[in-house]
Amino acid sequence: MEPTPSASAAVSSKRTNYCLGALTLGFIGLAVAFLGNLWGHPPARQQIPPVDKAFLEKTPWRKTYADLVRGKEDLSDFDCYGCHDKKKPPPLRFDAHSTLIVPEEHKDIVMGHGSHNRNNLCYNCHNESNLETFQVRDGRELKFADSTQLCGSCHGPNYRDWEAGAHGRINGYWNTSLGEARKLDCANCHNPHAPRIPTRDPAPGPHALRTPVMRYQAETTP
Amino acid sequence: MLDRRNFLRSTAAFAGLSALAASLSPLRELGDYTSTEQFLQKYYKELTPDEMKKVLQRITNEVERQYGIRPHVRDLKPMDGVEFVYALNLTRCIGCRKCVHACVAENNQSRNPEIQYIRVLKMPHGSMDVEKGDHTYNDKEVPDPGYFYMPVQCQQCKNPPCVKVCPVNATWQEKDGITVIDYDWCIGCRYCEAACPYWARRFNWTKPEIPKDRLNPEMAYLGNRPRKQGVMEKCHFCIQRTRAGRYPACLEVCPVGARKFGNVLDPESEISYILRTKRIFIQLKEEMGTSPRFFYYFDK
Repeated sequence: MEPTPSASAAVSSKRTNYCLGALTLGFIGLAVAFLGNLWGHPPARQQIPPVDKAFLEKTPWRKTYADLVRGKEDLSDFDCYGCHDKKKPPPLRFDAHSTLIVPEEHKDIVMGHGSHNRNNLCYNCHNESNLETFQVRDGRELKFADSTQLCGSCHGPNYRDWEAGAHGRINGYWNTSLGEARKLDCANCHNPHAPRIPTRDPAPGPHALRTPVMRYQAETTP
Repeated sequence: MLDRRNFLRSTAAFAGLSALAASLSPLRELGDYTSTEQFLQKYYKELTPDEMKKVLQRITNEVERQYGIRPHVRDLKPMDGVEFVYALNLTRCIGCRKCVHACVAENNQSRNPEIQYIRVLKMPHGSMDVEKGDHTYNDKEVPDPGYFYMPVQCQQCKNPPCVKVCPVNATWQEKDGITVIDYDWCIGCRYCEAACPYWARRFNWTKPEIPKDRLNPEMAYLGNRPRKQGVMEKCHFCIQRTRAGRYPACLEVCPVGARKFGNVLDPESEISYILRTKRIFIQLKEEMGTSPRFFYYFDK
């Protein structure tokens, strides 16, 4: 039995309606999904803690005598004759290996100027006859505020570089016609009694670049 | 009378249209970073001063809307008789990475995902092979004995491969030697990133994230104004500082004075003194013929 043409038209219109219905449902489903933003949300980013502001600090870690004077800060540490006698210079004492014994009153000073003991003598730089000044090897007397010249009297090449701006720190303006360039002194970075720059904690390394492979390498290499 | 066929038709039409509208909905978010004004903006070099003023005003408003801070955006031009050169003293660098973070803070780089212009390579003594360098070191104390540290950033080449490959001239070399990027012109194809032998260029894969309290409001058009998703960025010698006469941020924060910067055309500048008197080790990857304006040198 063959279906009559009218019956076949009814079947095809039924099929069309089903298709349209399915399409409608599909569209509605898609619309709901798009409006609700059901997908497309990227996975939550791993939080990276902000870097400690101490690492952004530009001020030098030490203050020179000149800085203290400029900042009108406490200068009592530099009042030598508050304790010492003006007439007799304090004697230096040495242990069996002829290493200087730092007196109890100056225990905060760690001597570490250079690799041998010849440099670790107070009167290499401090003036025996006037403790509130420095003495240069050629006999000149220098004020505490001029410590950089004192350093320069021995460290010639570095002093020459510092004068040219090649050694040490300069902050401010490279173009001095637009603003001031502030050249830091030796004692801003170096402790005169132990001038080697101490080791320090490094700022955190790159997060984004630390791929799993690199993390694995870092964890497995001793 | 609504028959079944018309009901289905109209429902389908309605659903289809709403689906189309919904699928276009991501365009609403586009408004965050692409305004019509920006879309129609002219090429940087063709902007008249008046148009530039309008552009800067638009950026100011956009930044204020996004971050709640009114920035000071400028378009600083290169100075006459100035060519910037950077020198880095490998004898002094202790690898503390302070420059990396000072740069991020100054130049409004994305904090998450993290974008950093400077990589500090930890290299074993006795080798200059950058392949041996490690920039992910995580030591308790630096410097580590037996190693030296080599920070690498954009070398501001005299013959920059990144500029040659840019298909839309969104990056170019300025008169004072700084290779700049117009973030509004960049199409994000990343050819420059591939061309750079120093891995100096960074791509914003997502919308950059900067905490409001860490935004630097002193901005320049070609410098540290906030970037959008899909554009390149890189070190520009702190254009907002150096073209105003100041030292770059990475230099000022360096605790050991290893970083030196200045005008090489001025024979009195410290940079001229260094190039004249110091033992210059390299321009990094000299053999590439890029002729960097970034020099590494030794003291002793």
